[in-house]
Amino acid sequence: MKKSSTRKVTLPLVLCLSFAMMLSACGGNSNNGAASTDPPAKTNNQADNTQDSTNSGTDTTAGSPLDLAMKGEYKGTKVTVFGPFVDADQVKFENSIKEFEEKTGIDIQYEGSKEFEATINIRVDGGNAPDIADFPQPGLLAAIAKTGKVIDLTNVLDQEKMKTNYNKSWLDMSTMDGKDGQIMAGIWNRSNVKSLVWYPKQQFDEAGYKVPETWDEMMALTEQIAKDGDPAWTIGIESGAATGWAATDWVEDIMLRTTSPENYDKWVKGELPFTSPEVKHAVEVMSQIWMNKDYVYGGTKSIVTTAFGDAPKPMFDNPPKAWFHRQGNFITSFFPETAKVDVDYDWFYLPSIDPQYGKPVLVAGDIYAMFNDRPEVRAVMEFFTTGESVKSWVQSGGMIAPMNDASLDWYSSESDRRMAKLVQDASTLRFDGSDLMPGKVGAGTFWKGMTDYVSGTATLDQALEQIQSGWNN
Amino acid sequence: MVGNKKRKGSKTAVNIVLGIICFIWLLPTLGLFISSFRPAADILQTGWWKVFPHQEWRAGESIQLSKDVDLRQPIEVKGKTYTDDQLKAGVTVEGNRLMWENRRARTLNIQEQGWKTTPDLTLENYKNVLSGKEYKLKEADGSEKVQKGSGLSQAFWNTLTIAVPATVIPVLIASFAAYAFAWLRFPGRKTLFVTIIAMLVIPIQVALIPVLKDYTALGLNGSYLGIWLAHTAFGLPLVTYFMYNFISQLPKDLFESAFMDGASHFTIFSRLILPLSVPALASIGIFQFLWVWNDYLVSLIFIGSQPSVQVMSMKIADLVGSRGNDWHLLTSAAFISMLMPLAIFFLLQKYFVRGLMGGSIKG
Repeated sequence: MKKSSTRKVTLPLVLCLSFAMMLSACGGNSNNGAASTDPPAKTNNQADNTQDSTNSGTDTTAGSPLDLAMKGEYKGTKVTVFGPFVDADQVKFENSIKEFEEKTGIDIQYEGSKEFEATINIRVDGGNAPDIADFPQPGLLAAIAKTGKVIDLTNVLDQEKMKTNYNKSWLDMSTMDGKDGQIMAGIWNRSNVKSLVWYPKQQFDEAGYKVPETWDEMMALTEQIAKDGDPAWTIGIESGAATGWAATDWVEDIMLRTTSPENYDKWVKGELPFTSPEVKHAVEVMSQIWMNKDYVYGGTKSIVTTAFGDAPKPMFDNPPKAWFHRQGNFITSFFPETAKVDVDYDWFYLPSIDPQYGKPVLVAGDIYAMFNDRPEVRAVMEFFTTGESVKSWVQSGGMIAPMNDASLDWYSSESDRRMAKLVQDASTLRFDGSDLMPGKVGAGTFWKGMTDYVSGTATLDQALEQIQSGWNN
Repeated sequence: MVGNKKRKGSKTAVNIVLGIICFIWLLPTLGLFISSFRPAADILQTGWWKVFPHQEWRAGESIQLSKDVDLRQPIEVKGKTYTDDQLKAGVTVEGNRLMWENRRARTLNIQEQGWKTTPDLTLENYKNVLSGKEYKLKEADGSEKVQKGSGLSQAFWNTLTIAVPATVIPVLIASFAAYAFAWLRFPGRKTLFVTIIAMLVIPIQVALIPVLKDYTALGLNGSYLGIWLAHTAFGLPLVTYFMYNFISQLPKDLFESAFMDGASHFTIFSRLILPLSVPALASIGIFQFLWVWNDYLVSLIFIGSQPSVQVMSMKIADLVGSRGNDWHLLTSAAFISMLMPLAIFFLLQKYFVRGLMGGSIKG
C-alpha cells in the first residue's frame, strides 16, 4: 500500500526532473550563444572608454562605416537597439530597416519596452547597455550622458555630412554635457510636430467656417462656434501617472508665441522661473480658452478627467460635438479607423499671437544614442542619420523625418507633407520644453501643477510656485 | 432543539455574509470578463451591465424646427417651451423623451422607451490578442497593406519554459534544505537558518542592479538559465521556510525506525519525506508558479523583450501600443493569461488547502 503510493509520487517527480534537465540543456545552448557574442562587445566597450579621446576617425579614411557595411564588410554581425516604441510602431521600424539588413547582412535586433524610461538606467548601470538606444526624452539621455557612458559621436560621424543633412537646431539639441566637456550625445531619427490644431474638415467646411490665420481670428471663431451652440475645443489631459503632460505642451506653444526664443531657452534651463510674468502670461492666454466653460467640451472640470486619447473623439460625432483639438501628430492613431485624413479631418497651424516672434513650431522627437563602439554599430548609427532609414515609416504615416534628405514626396498624405513643410519653414524650432527639463520638473511638478490649476485645487500663482519648487530639490 | 435551531440560523447568516463578500469580490472580475467581449467604443460609452436586458430610449419621429431658432432663447416645440440645456439632456414628455437629434440642423427627436435584449458582443478582442493584431500600413503608392502582428502563443511557451523550472528548482532545493534544517544536526544550523529567514525581508529591487552586473559579466542576461536562477534565488527563502515548517512537524519515530533499518539520509528523504510532504510541495508549488507566471519586474530586468524570450506579462503590456491606444485589448489578454494559473490551481487545489493547514500548526 505504502510502496505503491511512493511509486505514484516518484514517477511525476522523475518526469519533472527530467523535464527540468532537458530544459536546462536547451537553456544552456541559448546561453552559450549569448556568451559568445557578449565578451567582444564588452572588450570593445572598455577599449573605447580608454581610447575614445585618442583613436578617432582612423577608420573613416577607408570610407565611412556605412559604405563599408554596404560592401558587406560586417556581414553576420549583430547590433542591438532598445527603444520605447512597441506594437504597430515596431512593425513600421522593422519594415524601414529591412532593406538595410538585407544589403549589409547586419542583423539589427530591436527590443521595445513600455518601461523604457525605467529600464534604460538599470541596463546602463548594470553594464548591459544596448548598442543603440532610442530616447524619446532628451532630458533622460542628458542625465546618462553626464555619467560618461554615452559615446561621443563627434568623431564617429562625419560632421560635415551631419551639417548638410540636419537643421542647425537639431544638431544643437544633440549636443549635451558629457563627463568631460560637451559631446554629441546622439542623432535625431524621428520627429513629431506639436503645434497643430486638428479639426473635422468636412463638417467644418459645410458649416461655413474658415481656418483662422491669427490668434484673434481663432478666438473669434471659437466665440462664433459657441454662439452656434457647440463648445469649440475638446481637451483632455488625463494620462494615468503622467496626467498633465498635455497641458505642458499648450504652455510651451503659447510661450513660443508670446515671448522670445531666448526666454524660452532660459525657461527650459531653469533660469527664467515659472513665477515670472512671461510664464504667467502664457498660462493666462491658455486660460482664456481652458477656463471658459462655453469653449471646452464638457466644461473645464472635464479636462482633467478626460484621457488625452479619448479627447478627440467628440470631433468625429455627426454633427461634431467639438471642433478643435490641439495635439501632436501622433494623435491620429487615436482617431476612429473610419475617419480619413485630408477628407474627414485635417489640421491648421496654431496661429501666432505676437507677429514679432514669427511662426514658431514646437517639436518633439527621438534621439538615438550609442553605447558600444564597434564598427558595425557605427555603420548602423550612420545609417540612422539618413532619410533612407525612415523612408517606409514616413510613407506609412505618423512621423516626420528630421533629415534634410528625406523627400517631401515620401509622405503619403497631404496632411503629413504640410507638416514636414511646416517644420522646414519654421522661423523658430523648439523642442518640447518639459522633455528637456529635469525629470523632477518636466515630468513632475509641471504636470502636477498644471493639473491642480485646471482642476481648481490651486490658484494660478500657487500652481506656478509649486511647479517652480521642483527646481529647488 | 433550540440550540440546534440557533446554530442553523447563524450558519445561514454566515453563508449570506460570505455570499455577499464573494459577490463583491467577483463583481469587478465579472465586469472585466463582460467588457472583454464588448467593442472598444461601447466600453467607453456605457457600463458593462448594459449587456443585460434593459430599457433604453430609441429614436423615433423627428421634428424639424426652423433653422434660425435662437438656442439662447427658450425654444418652442409643439406649443411648449424648453431651454437648450433641457433639450441637450433630454426632457420626458408623456412617456417619450424629447432630445436634440442634430442641434446644428435644429432637428429634434421624440424618443420612445423600449427594451434592449440582445447585447452587442464581439470576439474581436480575443482574436486580436490570440492571433495578433492587423496593422494597416500605407505603401509608397498610397495603397494599404495589412501586416499581421504576432499573437500570444510564442510568449505563452516562453512563459511556460520559464515558469516550470523556476518552480521545480526552488521547491526541490528548498525541500532538501528544509530536511537538513529540521532533522540533521550540524554546527551553525540555527545561524544559517535565521540568515535564510532574514532574507525574506530583503526587497528584490535592491538586488536588481548588482545581480545584473554579475549577469553581464557571466553572459547570463536574456537567457533562460539566468532567469531560472533569479527566480530560484528570490523564491528560496520563503519556500525553505514553508517546507521547514511542514517537514519539521513530521513524526520523528518514522525516521528513527527507518534509520534502524539502515536507511541513509537520502533514502529517508526520497522515500519518506517527499511522499509525505506532497500537500506542502503542491501548495508552495502553486504559490511559486503564480508568482513566476505573473512576474513582470524580474523578467523586465533579466530577460528583456526580445520576441524569442519575451514573457506573457510583457507581451500583454506591449499589446496596448506605444501610446496605450489599444487599451481595450487588456481585458481579453488578462483573461487569457489567467487561464494557466487557474488550471494549475484547480488541478492541485485539494492539496492546496491541506498544505496550508499542514504548514500552519507550528507550536
